Amino acid sequence: MRTINGIYYYPASSKAESAELQVTGDVINLYYQQRCILVTQVDNVTISSTIPGVNGEVIFADGGKFVATDNQAPFDFSASVLGKIEKNTAVILAAVVLVPLLMWFCISVVMPKAASAVVLYLPDTVAETMGEQAFSIIESTLLKPSELSEEKQLTIKNLWQTTLTQLELPDDKFVLHIYGSDYFGPNAFALPDGTVVITDPLLKQLADNPDAILAILLHEIGHVENKHSLRMVAQSVSSTVVFALIFGDIEGVGEVLLGTGTSLLQNAFSRDMEREADDYALNQLIALGKSPEAFADAMQSFLDLKSDHHTDSALKYFSSHPDIKERIEKAQKFLK
Amino acid sequence: MEANQSSATPNELPMTNTVPVIFSGKGGEFFGIWIVNILLSIVTLGIYSAWAKVRTQQYFFANTNVDGHRFSYLANPIQILKGRILAIILFIAYSLVVSFFPIAGLGFVLIMFLLSPWLINQSMRFNLRMTSYRNVRFSFAGSYGEAFLYFIILPILSLFTLYLAMPWALKKMDEYLCNNISYGDKTLTTNIETSQYYITCLFVVLFSLIAGVIVVAVLAFTGQLGSFESVESGSISVGMIISMVAYLAIFNAVAAIYQARIRNHIFNNSEFEALAKFKSNVSISSYAVLLLVNMIAVIGTLGFAYPWVKIRTAAFLARATEVELQQNSDTIFDTMEEQKSSFGEEAAEVFDVDIAII
Repeated sequence: MRTINGIYYYPASSKAESAELQVTGDVINLYYQQRCILVTQVDNVTISSTIPGVNGEVIFADGGKFVATDNQAPFDFSASVLGKIEKNTAVILAAVVLVPLLMWFCISVVMPKAASAVVLYLPDTVAETMGEQAFSIIESTLLKPSELSEEKQLTIKNLWQTTLTQLELPDDKFVLHIYGSDYFGPNAFALPDGTVVITDPLLKQLADNPDAILAILLHEIGHVENKHSLRMVAQSVSSTVVFALIFGDIEGVGEVLLGTGTSLLQNAFSRDMEREADDYALNQLIALGKSPEAFADAMQSFLDLKSDHHTDSALKYFSSHPDIKERIEKAQKFLK
Repeated sequence: MEANQSSATPNELPMTNTVPVIFSGKGGEFFGIWIVNILLSIVTLGIYSAWAKVRTQQYFFANTNVDGHRFSYLANPIQILKGRILAIILFIAYSLVVSFFPIAGLGFVLIMFLLSPWLINQSMRFNLRMTSYRNVRFSFAGSYGEAFLYFIILPILSLFTLYLAMPWALKKMDEYLCNNISYGDKTLTTNIETSQYYITCLFVVLFSLIAGVIVVAVLAFTGQLGSFESVESGSISVGMIISMVAYLAIFNAVAAIYQARIRNHIFNNSEFEALAKFKSNVSISSYAVLLLVNMIAVIGTLGFAYPWVKIRTAAFLARATEVELQQNSDTIFDTMEEQKSSFGEEAAEVFDVDIAII
């Protein structure tokens, strides 16, 4: 027989009395002032799960409740594995090591793989609708008509058309637009449906180097062919869900830390995708009989815009694109 | 044991008894629970997270003691899991629609916006129904219409007043949340004053302005102001570090000023009539220091100090709180209303619209 001191709460009322619980085998007796006021069986009560630092609690079938006041009296008839491992030093130390490792594995291996796999099953209409809707929003808010001459625009479009034909890419899918934009500056971007936009300032910047323009267009086609926008969405949604599940309703500083972690992660995903698109561009340049040096030239023109550029800084983790010098070096090594 | 005291005192004048709120959670103990929770959540692909939530809540509730009686968290993990699965399906559908179909997504955003008052209510209702003290549960009686008015209409209106009406809107929100809380058959009455919200907000604005000016002055004086130009080039300057630290410190101080003052005001002016009154005496400076230390600890340990931070914050707030009990606290009856679904609470969490009364 075991005796546990505690407080008995009457059903559905705040009335409470000091009481004693006596457990003999399967039978539970509740004593109040030396009188037995309740007899029941272990099977008829709900026993709280053991948590370190939390006194046990027994809820009776009628809603009455007994809460132990004696911290040293675990209910041995409710032996809980969880309660034991939560105060087992070895398990805790193992968890401290395993949690970061598993998190890293899950985020950098499982999630990108899963995202790439899932994206393959998305019907084409998803990419089409996403591209069309995104384009109409971007066009009406951030783009303005191109100021380049008809002739220059036509040259670029011809370059585009020839490239598509040579690479046997469908020209009803891949459509090039030339726009002016104060927001984007010298830039080019691709939408998941195959719409590619290149801006006036970028075309002016590379006016005397059509191969460099080609390299950039190929990079954008690389984003589309590798379904990067869709993968990005899949990865960002899944990382939000995973963080929410694992860390629960974390608040305050923890939330800020998680937010920072998520955006660093997002940028790491983004850098990986940029590298993939770079690879695509370099390979296709070779396939077209051009030099990968053209890609290096295009990158160099961005570098020239910035006066002094330092690499090896912590800031690279905050960037959505790989370091430009790294990209140039890769293009140059591609020659071999 | 105070449990059977009141039956001994016959119908005299209602005597009151001021008791502290005692929090007995320990950082080390909770660390074990927390890290094992996370490990099991990862290993079970998130399923265990429902159990993790219940165990965490139970630990904090059971370690909060008023007048010799502790709080209990009653939710059962399966119930949490069901709500969580539904909420996550909704969240995934929502995120996919918004990113894949941006224009159609606008409709979805609007729907979520209209749903948010309901989520706030459901979340409050669930959390309070799952909280019990002396075997009597709390409850929440807010309605969609009111929540819509206070959480959607008033903030939008205050936009048009250049936020001048915002302190008043904040007061109305707190008032709505508090006045709809019941403990058993007793309703909480809150008499808070709009002026306190204006004074607090003015205090916050003045403090941020003065602190901001000081930071800029220090940067200018030490010649670091110009160093921001190098951000583009990728190096971190001393000036950036100073301003980042200053920003975090000011942010913490502002949170401390607002939360401490408003919490004190709400607690000191709320009561369960003829049952309990509350007293809160959070010192702004100690709270600011607490929050700052919390932040440094969590960032410095890459999150591992989180359990310690949660425990010391709960202990700090408990120490600053007292309850003035009348001696009829064993005559409260539980109300029978049931709350089975945790969907609202879980969705409020995933979509980050859950709120807590400070």
